[in-house]
Amino acid sequence: MRSERLKGHLDLLLLSVLSRGPGHGYEVITRLRDRSDGAFELPEGTVYPALHRLEEAGLLASAWDAVSGRRRRIYRLTLAGEGALAEQSQQWSEFSGSVTRVLGTQAAVSPPRPALPGVTA
Amino acid sequence: MSRHTADTPADPVEDYLDQLFVTLSGSPRQVRHTVAEVEAHLRDAVAEGVAAGLTEPEAQAQAVARMGPVHGVTGRGAALTRPSLALARRLALTAALVGGAGFLAIGAAGLVARLLLAVKGDEFLTAPWPAGTYTRADCARWLAGDPGTHSCVTAMLADHAGDFLLQAAAAGLLGLIALAAYLTLRQRWQDRATLTALPAGTAEALGTALAAVATVVCLGQAVDTEMVQHGIGAGEPWSLGAAAAVAAAAFALALRRALRRAAPA
Repeated sequence: MRSERLKGHLDLLLLSVLSRGPGHGYEVITRLRDRSDGAFELPEGTVYPALHRLEEAGLLASAWDAVSGRRRRIYRLTLAGEGALAEQSQQWSEFSGSVTRVLGTQAAVSPPRPALPGVTA
Repeated sequence: MSRHTADTPADPVEDYLDQLFVTLSGSPRQVRHTVAEVEAHLRDAVAEGVAAGLTEPEAQAQAVARMGPVHGVTGRGAALTRPSLALARRLALTAALVGGAGFLAIGAAGLVARLLLAVKGDEFLTAPWPAGTYTRADCARWLAGDPGTHSCVTAMLADHAGDFLLQAAAAGLLGLIALAAYLTLRQRWQDRATLTALPAGTAEALGTALAAVATVVCLGQAVDTEMVQHGIGAGEPWSLGAAAAVAAAAFALALRRALRRAAPA
């Protein structure tokens, strides 16, 4: 998926990934890639401004921890983050459901286009 | 970013972190934390690449490529990471500081001049134009502005003194605006690239030099006026010279502080 399109939904995806448990930046990227079966590929560095923004907004909290001998910043969802995730998930479900219905209706009512005379498929 | 020799082979991860360090803005703690965070990420990615069978250099190159451009981490546009832009911002900060302090000094000179005016009168502040260099129309205009007097020279002196005070007040206001802009922009442009685009103390050294020159010129002119014209019109250069001397002293102190801060411990 194009990273530009993904960026519009990055906050929701990050909140969702971290709702499964705290993690550092590299883990977040790995989980995002794994849970999307590799569909969500974006420059890994772009996750950090988003994580910092979510922390500033109070939706995430972070603490430094030593994991495998290396200092890492571990992010976890706050209560406000859980609320925001529930709200944004609901909005996304409604939006995607509407888009799916529109696309499904269009596919159902649109007859296949007849071939132009003299043009073969 | 870094210079590589036979002893220090190219390391894309180190280069990436160097570039990130000079580009990030924010408090020193925020910068340190983000660099540490990204370094841990890159080291994890390199370890994963090596475990998957890549050589160390291949794994490093892959980790950096997957991280994406530095401006993705900083969350700022690619244009904002250009060294030329950092230099432009540093020059703008320097101009705002030096220019703002200079204009503020002229405003302060206006306050000094106002005191001199109250104590020694209009003639001390500004010298009258020599006879024959102004017209009847000029006289009429000056007298219209000072209805209480019937002397053209007295009205001219009051007009010129008023002009000087007004211009000094306007300069002072401009100086305050420039210094407010300087403080705002300095708070916003905290990235290493901007902070290090010019040597430490450049603005302070420039301000010291300009203010010192202004002090010598203005005080020299004041002394000359005292000797040649017996003090008539000496108030303007005295007040400007005094304000310039204070500005030069303030810039010199700031320069000393900046150089001490920049000196290695």
